[in-house]
Amino acid sequence: MKMIGALLKQLKISCEDTSPLISESMDHRISLGKKLRIKIHLAICGACQCYKTQLDIIKTLARKLGAEDSDLKNEVSLRPELKYKIKHSLKTNS
Amino acid sequence: MSDHKLDSNMWVDRYGDIMYRYTLLRVKDVDSAEEIVQNTFMAAIQAQSNFAGLSTEKSWLFGILKHKIMDHFRGQKRLMSFNLSDNDDSTEPDYDTSGHWRIFPKDWGLDPEKAAENNELARHLQGCLDGLPEKFRQIFIMKEVDGLDSTQICNEFDIKPTNLWVILHRARNQLKQCLEAHWLSKQEDKKTKS
Repeated sequence: MKMIGALLKQLKISCEDTSPLISESMDHRISLGKKLRIKIHLAICGACQCYKTQLDIIKTLARKLGAEDSDLKNEVSLRPELKYKIKHSLKTNS
Repeated sequence: MSDHKLDSNMWVDRYGDIMYRYTLLRVKDVDSAEEIVQNTFMAAIQAQSNFAGLSTEKSWLFGILKHKIMDHFRGQKRLMSFNLSDNDDSTEPDYDTSGHWRIFPKDWGLDPEKAAENNELARHLQGCLDGLPEKFRQIFIMKEVDGLDSTQICNEFDIKPTNLWVILHRARNQLKQCLEAHWLSKQEDKKTKS
């Protein structure tokens, strides 16, 4: 196992080399060479397959959090006093 | 012709809370979030006559809100010096000398397509976001939460694309570790108890 690890590191397709590429591939189009390195590595590495899935999950969830009417924090509200104050200002300025 | 009209008497009741939650996720600080929401309503009332009715009242108000949040980030930029290596010290090296994971990533037992339905995990992610170094947090929010274009983010923060990818990679790693520590460990506890 150690020898395989050393070989992968030599070929620049170890977990350490591949995980930043996996992340990078989520942000923009990457070169064919990089794509190939990811593909080869993922074919033999279960840990990095899990890693990729984790990043995909985080990406999906982040977008969900960003929705304008995300109801995830529905226990959080604007303070009633502030609401009153804003309403009053809106009335006097409209 | 359009039916879209503004009714400023109803703004606070209709949108106050959702605008506040939207802002709080992005700026983290309660006082700043309150101020931004308040300023948004004030700017909206001043700009009422510019409302062309092309969008709904809600998306028009959110448009103003998004500008205010971006202005807030820009205002903070001067206060936060940017140094990649500073933020780097906090994270342990993830790999051993042969480039293997020191701690193997775990199988979360979730399908990425269905992960969006997992509200508990989403709540944890929101908590984990607050733990990121401020600059990483803002950049991650713009890229992944708001889906802004990389070029625009690089311009806003005066960074190169390669820096952006390094920052996003580190932010994702930290979020993943945080979720494993707070969410996954609870799931495993539940399993062993049941």
